[in-house]
Amino acid sequence: MKRAISFLLIAIFLLLAGCGTPSAQEQFFTMDTVMSITVNGKGAAEAAAARQEVEGLNALLSRTDGDSLISRLNAHAGDGTAVEVDSDILELLSFAKSISQLLPGCFDITIAPVMDAWGFTGEERHVPDAADLARAMALVDSGKLLLDEEAGTARLAEAGMSVDLGSVAKGYAAARTEEVLREAGVTSALLDLGRNITAVGPKADGAPWRVGVADPADSSRYLCILSLEDATASTSGGYERWFEENGVRYHHIIDPKTGYPASSGLQSVTVVSQNHLLADALSTALFVAGEEEALDFWRSRDDFELVLCTEDGRVLATEGLEAGLEFRGEEQGYDCQMVRR
Amino acid sequence: MTVRWSAADRRRPTPGDLLVALLVAAAAVALLLGLGQEGGNFLTASVVLDGETIAQYDLAALTGPVTLEVEGAAYPLTIQAEPGRIRIAESSCPGQDCVHTGWASRAGQQIICLPNRLVISLEGRVSNEVDAVTS
Repeated sequence: MKRAISFLLIAIFLLLAGCGTPSAQEQFFTMDTVMSITVNGKGAAEAAAARQEVEGLNALLSRTDGDSLISRLNAHAGDGTAVEVDSDILELLSFAKSISQLLPGCFDITIAPVMDAWGFTGEERHVPDAADLARAMALVDSGKLLLDEEAGTARLAEAGMSVDLGSVAKGYAAARTEEVLREAGVTSALLDLGRNITAVGPKADGAPWRVGVADPADSSRYLCILSLEDATASTSGGYERWFEENGVRYHHIIDPKTGYPASSGLQSVTVVSQNHLLADALSTALFVAGEEEALDFWRSRDDFELVLCTEDGRVLATEGLEAGLEFRGEEQGYDCQMVRR
Repeated sequence: MTVRWSAADRRRPTPGDLLVALLVAAAAVALLLGLGQEGGNFLTASVVLDGETIAQYDLAALTGPVTLEVEGAAYPLTIQAEPGRIRIAESSCPGQDCVHTGWASRAGQQIICLPNRLVISLEGRVSNEVDAVTS
C-alpha cells in the first residue's frame, strides 16, 4: 500500500512538473521574413545558437546583401569568373537545379530578373511592360548556372542572370538548424521559419506538434490540422504577397514558363516531408504545376505528402497524412477529400 | 477523545491514507484545470516593433475600439483593435501585405509588416488548438 501511494504521489509530481517544462524562444527578422525558434527542455543558449545559424546562412545566401556569396555569384554573371563556393552550398545549388529538371517549367532559381521586373524584390510592385518582361525572361535558365564540384566553384553563363534562393533557403536553414539543435542534445523544438514549420522531435509531453494549415481565404481559420514530428510543413500560395493593378490581383509566385504569376487552379500547396529542403522547394514548384501534375508527382515518389487547396473549393490531402489529420475546411464550405495512391 | 495522527503510532498505511492521497491528487488536478480556465476567453495581442513590445491589448476585455498610431515606424501605420480582434488598418509600407492580412482574431495568429519589422501576435490559453500555423 505504501508503495502504491508513493507511486501515485510521484506520478502527480511528474504531472505537475511536466506542465512547466522549460522552453526558450527566439523571434527575429531574416531572409525577408519573420522567424521564431522554440526549444523545449533546454536553456536560451541553444535557441540563440539556432538563431545564429539561420542569420549566418542569410549572410551567405541573401541576394539583397551585397557582401553575400550569392551576390558575388550574381555580380560575376557572364564575365567568366568561377566563384568559389563551399561544398554544402554547391550541393544546395545542385539540388535546386535537380528540381527544375524533375518538374520542367515549374521551378527555377534563376527567376530573379523576372521577380525584379515585377518589383517584388524592391519597393514598387507593378506589371512590367512586355519588352522588360521579355528581356528578363531571356535570362531565366538554371541550365546556365554551371557548377564544378571538383573545383568547388559556380558561375552564371550570361550577363544579367541572377540567382535567388528564396524558394529553398528556408528549407535549407531548417535542416542546418535542426543539426545544430541535435548536436546540442535538443530533442524537442519547433522552428517557424517564415511559416515554414519544422518539428524537431515531438512536443515536451511526447505528443506530436499540431500545425494548422491556413485557409487562403481567411487566415484566422484552418483547412486542416496536421500532426507533425521530425518533419517540415511548407506552404506556398498567392494570397499573402500580392498587389492590384487596374482591378486585377497579381501574386508573387511567378511561373517560369510565362513570366506571370502562376495560375494553375490552386490557392495553396502544403508539402510535408522529413526532408526539409524538399518540402520548401516542392511547395513552390507544385503550386506552379497545378493539381494533376502535383498528384502525379506525389504518386511517383514516397518522400513527401501534400495538402492542396483548389480554386474551386476542394481540400485534397494525400493518404500518408491520414493518421492525426483533422479536416477543418468543411466549416468554411470546402469539400475535403483524402487522395489515395 | 484521542486523535491518532502520529506516524510513530502507526507503521502501516490504511485505506484511509490512500483516500487522502487520492483527494490530494483530485485537488491538484482541479487546481490545474481551474488555472487553465481562469480568464477562459483571454486573448492578448502584443505589438512588437523591431524586437521591442510597444503595446499589448487584452482583446477579450476591450469594450470598444482602440486605435494606435505607430508614428515611430519606418513606414508609419495605424493599428485598430476591437473586442476580440485586431488589424493593421493603414500602412505607408510599399507592399501593403500587412493591411491585406485583415483582422486577426485567433490565438496563434500573427500580422506581420516586414518593411517595418513589426509583428502583432495573438496569444490565448483556451482557443490555442495548434502549436504553429503554416501559410
